[in-house]
Amino acid sequence: MASMPEKITVRIDEDLAEIAPGYLDNRKKDVELLPQILAKGDFQTLRIMGHRMKGSGAGYGFDGISDIGRAIEEAAKQENREGVRQGIEALSSYLDRLDVIYG
Amino acid sequence: MTTHEHVLVVDDDPDICNLVGRLLEKNGFRVSKVPDGKGLLALLEKSKPDLIILDLMLPDEDGLVLCRNLRSRSNMPVIILSARGEDMDRIIGLEMGADDYLGKPFHPRELLARVKSVLRRSRTAAPEGAPETDDDATYRFAGWVLDVPTRQLYSPKGKKIFLSGGEFALLRVFLNHPNRVLSRDQLLDLSHGREIEPFDRTIDMQVSRLRRRLGDDPKKPSLIKTVRSSGYVLAVRVERGGNIDGTDDSGPGD
Repeated sequence: MASMPEKITVRIDEDLAEIAPGYLDNRKKDVELLPQILAKGDFQTLRIMGHRMKGSGAGYGFDGISDIGRAIEEAAKQENREGVRQGIEALSSYLDRLDVIYG
Repeated sequence: MTTHEHVLVVDDDPDICNLVGRLLEKNGFRVSKVPDGKGLLALLEKSKPDLIILDLMLPDEDGLVLCRNLRSRSNMPVIILSARGEDMDRIIGLEMGADDYLGKPFHPRELLARVKSVLRRSRTAAPEGAPETDDDATYRFAGWVLDVPTRQLYSPKGKKIFLSGGEFALLRVFLNHPNRVLSRDQLLDLSHGREIEPFDRTIDMQVSRLRRRLGDDPKKPSLIKTVRSSGYVLAVRVERGGNIDGTDDSGPGD
């Protein structure tokens, strides 16, 4: 029997309780969008999206998103398809396992 | 808490605008958000924020260039908030006139603390009692011109004269109170702030330096006169406003 993926518990400042869910929804949209952009080979857009994730994630309390964004940005700079693909997978996995506690 | 101070956030990432806007509004600030340099310039046409939070990687213009242009026309405080976190970017940002630099990702409370700190410094740097519009003023006196936004002093022959921060602050106080005797304590209070270098301990030394800049004979000064047992007075008619041409020869030569 496969083991359950480990949860990632993140405690978020209550001040951000109203906007953090919207931020995570946007990242879920990114999980859908990024493979399409990768398929087009648009590394410039991938780099910008990674750069933004890197810059915003930890500000909302999601350090993992900043780390993944940094990895996507770097891979896109090098036009490394496999690196970007791994970054998208990491983002998808992170969001699936995320358990947010407010307060 | 209510401060009503107006902060402008310039960032093309809506998630950052949302985060910073939320943080500041929760702490009593009024917040405007624009996504690019064009939006920044348009907003500055109709509003004068107390502080600007500026991203460097904007879609239409380099934030560093915007920062330099802002600094050349006003003393409006600027905090650069950028994921371009290299040391050189920080150094260039500060050299371009930013008041502070915070790398992304950032902790919201750190940004809030820096916003408050920069605003506090900005408030103390402005001469107390000076009219708010003084930031945009141009003063003319005895042929001299002081342009406050650019901090440029022009001699009656149009020569640019360099002023230290302390000299600039002191001259600004005198120009705000012409023909009025100001005690040493008043001069200290009114010009006190970050403009005063720590080694400028006495007003007398600064007045002496300022006289030299203005070509005023220290033994028989005609512009900044000593009033025995009282202090100093700028004994000259001061006009405010008008364009700078730097070639007005109506006053004494330098």
